[in-house]
Amino acid sequence: MISLPHFLIVGAVLFGLGLVGFLTRRNLITMFLCAEMMLQGVVLNFLAFGKYHGHLGGQIAALFIITVAACEAGLALAMFLAIYRRTKSLDSGVWQELREDRIPATVDTDPLPTFLEDPDPVLTPAGARPIRAEEEVRV
Amino acid sequence: MIPPFASLEIDPIAAGQIVAAVVMGTLGLYFLLPRPRGRSIALGTFLSLGTAGMIAGFLITTFGQPFPNLVENALFWLFAAGAVGFGRVLVMQSNPARGAISFAFVILSSCGLFLMLAAPFLMAATIIIYMGAIVVTFLFVLMLSQAKGASDENDRSREPLLGSLAGFAFMGLILFTLYVTGPRVETRADAAIVEPLLPATGIRTADKLLLVAAANDLDLALDPDAKPDEMLMQAKQARTRLLRVVGSAGEPLDANPGRTIQDRLRNSETDVRIASIVAQADKVRVLKKTSLDRLETALLDREPKLDEAREQLKRLRGEVLILAGRGELPAKNVKAIGYALYSEHLIAVELAGTLLLVATIGAVAIAQKKGSVA
Repeated sequence: MISLPHFLIVGAVLFGLGLVGFLTRRNLITMFLCAEMMLQGVVLNFLAFGKYHGHLGGQIAALFIITVAACEAGLALAMFLAIYRRTKSLDSGVWQELREDRIPATVDTDPLPTFLEDPDPVLTPAGARPIRAEEEVRV
Repeated sequence: MIPPFASLEIDPIAAGQIVAAVVMGTLGLYFLLPRPRGRSIALGTFLSLGTAGMIAGFLITTFGQPFPNLVENALFWLFAAGAVGFGRVLVMQSNPARGAISFAFVILSSCGLFLMLAAPFLMAATIIIYMGAIVVTFLFVLMLSQAKGASDENDRSREPLLGSLAGFAFMGLILFTLYVTGPRVETRADAAIVEPLLPATGIRTADKLLLVAAANDLDLALDPDAKPDEMLMQAKQARTRLLRVVGSAGEPLDANPGRTIQDRLRNSETDVRIASIVAQADKVRVLKKTSLDRLETALLDREPKLDEAREQLKRLRGEVLILAGRGELPAKNVKAIGYALYSEHLIAVELAGTLLLVATIGAVAIAQKKGSVA
């Protein structure tokens, strides 16, 4: 016997966070991971109800969810590779030409911050170059 | 019958907690989401911690602690905090590789919760499939496509305020629904009116404790060193305990309404599982009477012949334990899942296999380069 609402609320919070990530983030991979997080919330609900009713149906539904998620992951991966090959970007905003008629295009106004990258570290030469002794034995 | 909206009036404290959680969560995630201007990690983290505290406070004041003992409670809160905390990192992290790593930790934490929900097979499967396969392949894709410096996809968000409002409004609605329908810790004066609207479970915790205690009494009675009067005393104690759960064989079933298992479940006997619980409870009720009678007659003899009575008590103990375990998931998780999959859900298994095949073919077809010969 478990307390049902606690698990349901953890599932709801996971689902809500995943929803926020899916709606707001623009990297396709992050969006996909957020969708998977929503699925985790759903699985948690199924398992909690299954335990609450003492019935295996919840676990079996969760098993099928995992199967579908695996299919989805494989397909999404292939699509992301194809998209990246075409546009050299994983930004979902690149595809806004596919939006509906009469919806204005979103324009990014703020300039991106520029990060000054440190150059690779170089060791300063110090001392004299050691003289290499001729190897005595040669094989 | 409870009218559907009988308990819609909400306690001001609970309402305040829900609203505060929604508002603080929305603002917190708004400040955390990546964008060129106006991002504040410190403020966002502070607000997110406040949200987590609000939700935990709402849970504890409304529903109490999730488990009866400290260790399980500590584990639950640890795993829940881990899942939610790493989920927040996944949503706000502008580096997608770090996001993928934190998603792996979300999976790990929620697998801890799976284990607490008696699903060890799913825990292992999820860890293997998600952490071992999905997250690692996505890290590969990230390696292939990582851009240097700031980029549109990682350092901008689409409508951060409205997006986070959508997610947290959804969460607030679920909190509210559970508040209205869930089994609350009752602190209100008119508590008698409000009943949990969730469907009844077969065996309540109190019943289960009584049944296990009765089985313990019978264990003591079956002790080979026990003297006959001790045996009778223990058996009678077990009988008083069982009386409170399954009722007495002599009296009609509705003698004490709402107390016995059979009476509580009488209206939902169409459910196969509930019917099996009721049948088992009836079995225990009858067996209790016959075995106690047998024991008493055996003890009244000049030379007590206890063997047969002992057999009966042993049978009664077995049935009591079976009744206590009805309404629980089977202990052999993998075996039971396999049996159910291939007996009740065979078509679904076949369909899932077909789906996997189609997805594989589709992935190969999509991923191959144009013009190359597959």
